[in-house]
Amino acid sequence: MLRKLLGTSAVVLALSAPPTMADVKIGSIVELSGPGAAAGTNFRDGVKLGFEEVNAAGGILGEKVQLLEYDSQTDPQVSRAMVQKAIDEGVYVITGTVYSSSTVVNMLVAQQAGIPQFTGSEAPSITQKGNPYIFRTAFGSQKGMPKVAKYMAEEMGIKKVAIVWANTEFGKGGYGAFMEQAKIYGFEIVADVPTEQAQTDFSADVLKAKNSGADAVFVYLTEEESARFLREAQKQSIGLPMIGETTLIGAKVIELAGDAANGAMGHVGLTADAGIPAVSEMVARFKAKYNYTPDHNAIKGYTSAWTIKCVTEMIGSTDRQAFADKMHGLTLTAAECPGVLMDTSWDDTGEMSRESFFVVVEGGKQTVKAVLPPN
Amino acid sequence: MIPLRRLLVGIGVAALIVAPIGQGNYIIYTLSSWLLFSIAAMGLNLTLGYAGQVSLAQAGFMGIGAYVTALMTLAGIHWLFAAVASISACFLIGLMLGYPALRVQHHFLAFVTLAFNTLLFLVLRNEEEITGGSFGLVGMPRPDFFGFSTMKNLQFYYFTLVCFLLAAGVMWWILRSPWGRAFKALRENPIRAESLGLKIRRQTLLAFAFGSAFAGLAGALQSPLVQFIEPSSFGLIHSLKLLLMVVVGGAGYFFGPMLGAAVVILLPEVLRFTEGYYLIIYAVLVIVLMVYSPGGLIGLGRKLYDWMKPGQEARRDIEQGVQL
Repeated sequence: MLRKLLGTSAVVLALSAPPTMADVKIGSIVELSGPGAAAGTNFRDGVKLGFEEVNAAGGILGEKVQLLEYDSQTDPQVSRAMVQKAIDEGVYVITGTVYSSSTVVNMLVAQQAGIPQFTGSEAPSITQKGNPYIFRTAFGSQKGMPKVAKYMAEEMGIKKVAIVWANTEFGKGGYGAFMEQAKIYGFEIVADVPTEQAQTDFSADVLKAKNSGADAVFVYLTEEESARFLREAQKQSIGLPMIGETTLIGAKVIELAGDAANGAMGHVGLTADAGIPAVSEMVARFKAKYNYTPDHNAIKGYTSAWTIKCVTEMIGSTDRQAFADKMHGLTLTAAECPGVLMDTSWDDTGEMSRESFFVVVEGGKQTVKAVLPPN
Repeated sequence: MIPLRRLLVGIGVAALIVAPIGQGNYIIYTLSSWLLFSIAAMGLNLTLGYAGQVSLAQAGFMGIGAYVTALMTLAGIHWLFAAVASISACFLIGLMLGYPALRVQHHFLAFVTLAFNTLLFLVLRNEEEITGGSFGLVGMPRPDFFGFSTMKNLQFYYFTLVCFLLAAGVMWWILRSPWGRAFKALRENPIRAESLGLKIRRQTLLAFAFGSAFAGLAGALQSPLVQFIEPSSFGLIHSLKLLLMVVVGGAGYFFGPMLGAAVVILLPEVLRFTEGYYLIIYAVLVIVLMVYSPGGLIGLGRKLYDWMKPGQEARRDIEQGVQL
């Protein structure tokens, strides 16, 4: 009996032992459950696809990449614990988290351990804290908003704006950045409507925006809320152009909102329909593997995987400090590192810049109206 | 205490002392958060399990404690003073929250406390100048005691452990005191308790005040542990989580909340290897437990013990269990 028990335990232990061939460990910490699951899953799948391709192409410096996955449950406290766990397990670089309130906490832990981190968050505060180990995979809203506001004022001739925003760290960051631009371009804010995270009923908010006499509604909500807002706006036939950031017109939003998304427009850092061959090819591979259209979060995750490979090979070793140093002030071109899909630069704070797009949703697809230069 | 129990408690404390040695930061962090949630759940156990007053505002009180501590320590005041202020603030506000409980009971009381928690969440989020709004507060320092720094996770764990043992000691004392017996009388039969000369009014208010004060201490520990607080960490869902801890562990039993906190905090971590299924397995386990043993895990243990050793006189005071 005892021998049998020991034998079984040995087999169980042998089966549960981690594979030993992988040497480069990457920690993927994202929102796989909770309110951030839609964005987090996209980001995670992008990272996964990226590293599978990296491994297929010979890994990093000849070593295979082992991807360790953690679920932050969209809870800042859990996200901190997960980053701690990843560091304990000896990761080289961390990818995630997507929600800003989680990133603000866990980047402190990664910073103390000196581990570079690629975040999908867009709140301006993240790169303004002087953390030398944090790098964005999409620009913060303080970079995106000037582009949108300029387009609204100069191309669309908008004067009065109703703004609907999420009262969270994410939403407030964007709201602040937009209001600054509104002052510069002289927009009159005729309605200012804050909303809750995970709000389900937007009828009052839509009505307020509709009756405000605005020329356009600026919508800054996270994906699922954006979809609900768009559906309600269609129901009440709002009759105003709805403009937003990536989160208003992402693939996930279009999927959830259906034809209510048609006509919504906005600025995106990355889009599956950008018409750039490298992006289209990546999207096709992603669709074949996961059976859904990737949104900007997936592309963020994918490019961070390739950035890690290319930068590590530039410095020639898996040295975290050298990696972080190299990233500052770096421009990575699609020619030297095809996986980043577009030419990208990072400044001294870890903030990134590259070309972006102004798109409108037509027939359930994003159509690029204009390519906006990097700023 | 009977000698056997004394021995078991001794072994338990020794286990808590050696538990983090040689472990990674993550395990130590999780253990620390288990200890602090145990403190908050102990407080709720006093309000709910012993005094029978349903409260869905426990996370709100943790929030009050966490914000008071955060604001004071960020202003350079030592943690000790901040913690005292947090506990006192929660005691006073808990006393005030007790007033509706004099009028309404059971699920009506649950709604009142629920409204209080939501109100608090909105205040924390909208008073941006003080609380930082949805950006929260970042970078609270971990305290120093006479040159002993708790900056590292292991040191902080021992600091939390000391606070936990102190809190457990105070709870033990409250329960053994006439107050503790009065709380139980309030739960079992308020009319008879009153007829025996107990001041029900005072007792109900105190049940809330003491329970909330424990949450205040838990909050005062959470600030330096996570070093980041935001309103949604103290939302209604976290109050429900604390309620789950008390009920799963065994409401009305001294060790119930610690066990419950271990289940709620540690079990999902243990089940994490099942990847996408862990929340489902966890939920099913909780449902099965609640169906078979409304007295929680400790109640289940007692049931098994009585079944194996019949002829024992079972504890009668909690036969009905806690009525929600």
